[in-house]
Amino acid sequence: MSYSYFLGCVIPGRLPFLEISARKTFEEIGMKVGDQAKCSCCPDPTGAAQLDHETFLALGARNLCLFEESNNHILSLCSGCTESLKTVKHILDNDDEKKKEINSNLKIIGKTYKGDIDIKHFAEVLYENIKKIKEKVKKPLKDLKVAGHPGCHYLRPSEIINWDDPLNPKTLDELIEAIGADPIEYDMKNDCCGNPVEKTDKEISLSMLESKLKSMKEAGADCIACVCPACYQQFDFNQREINKNNNTDYNFPVFYITELIALALGINTEELGLNFHRIKVNDVLQKIN
Amino acid sequence: MQMVDFEFRNEIIKENFSLNYCYQCGTCSSSCPVAFITNGEFNPRKIIEQSLLGLKDLLIKDQKPNVWLCCTCHMCVEECPQNVFLTEIFERIKNMIVLIGEPYPETFKMQAKSIIENGLAIPLSQPIIRRRNQLGLPNVESVNINEINKLLKATNFEKKVNLLGES
Repeated sequence: MSYSYFLGCVIPGRLPFLEISARKTFEEIGMKVGDQAKCSCCPDPTGAAQLDHETFLALGARNLCLFEESNNHILSLCSGCTESLKTVKHILDNDDEKKKEINSNLKIIGKTYKGDIDIKHFAEVLYENIKKIKEKVKKPLKDLKVAGHPGCHYLRPSEIINWDDPLNPKTLDELIEAIGADPIEYDMKNDCCGNPVEKTDKEISLSMLESKLKSMKEAGADCIACVCPACYQQFDFNQREINKNNNTDYNFPVFYITELIALALGINTEELGLNFHRIKVNDVLQKIN
Repeated sequence: MQMVDFEFRNEIIKENFSLNYCYQCGTCSSSCPVAFITNGEFNPRKIIEQSLLGLKDLLIKDQKPNVWLCCTCHMCVEECPQNVFLTEIFERIKNMIVLIGEPYPETFKMQAKSIIENGLAIPLSQPIIRRRNQLGLPNVESVNINEINKLLKATNFEKKVNLLGES
């Protein structure tokens, strides 16, 4: 069975340049990934999913049904969507009562959840192809010190996500290493970026971000690499606000790991829409050229 | 004075039995990044304690500690020696706040509204559609909103999330 993209809401609706880097990267390593039409919000595990469990299961299960109908596994471009969809699958596959309940809702729109497709985070699929990535590197990102930020929903809850070590993750750093860059160690690597708290209290959210940035700076990072659009927004959109409030000078370019991989595979910077980043990436481009 | 409501505790246990396993060691709070930043004002151990004691008003009406501050990082779930699924329990408490009609953060409401209207948390705007074309990205075939509406009607979502704020 092949894969189709689950794009989610944030990437196609706000950060389409992250999507182009993912598409180019998968193309370049010879993987054909399809497009699944008519998906709804996953629903957001840090937002709507917190309001009503039944709706969370129903909307999530409907998305899973779309992929079942087209006979494709899910390749998700967002950690939040990955967690939501994996959670819905986990619950429905392990609880017949719940599955019956949700299927009676889905019947209204002529759908039935069966449970025969898989859900993968895009970085999980990249990691499975790490050898191929290494072989295809044309321009190793030598001497680039990258602070990898795995984020939360990429790893946890491990009972459901079930792949990398939830407290000592390695896969993102190995991907950074695979393209010739230097994945640096820093104290707060495993901490949340603070993005979800913005919905309730912006000040706390920014404080969480600042402690991460501080730790990255102390470790001498040139840039940040992440695997989730919510984390991407937190890092790329809010460094300036922190500088304004606290008289600091954080200016880390922020990359989706697929952007760094695409650069190492020799894909043209213009094709990637790197000019849409809020924090300019020129210093990094100079360093790797 | 706080009233003890055992039914509240039972309701949570019915949905997630792991609440019963907690022996209040506090590992959750020591692993919580929000507890760290707020000097313990947000305190997952306390939310679990109050759930066990049935202190419903404190959690649902006063919202102390404010359960909406959980960043859903699931560190507490990974670190808990008793396998208490804290984030799922917090989700149930948030569901109850919403269902009862107590106030909750506006951003959550806005997202619920967007999902009801568009099926998406962030609908595609014209400038973004242009940017997608510019980047050579395919069109996103949008969700059938009638289908979403039927599903949301079945789960009674619009009424539950109480967008107008009437209790």
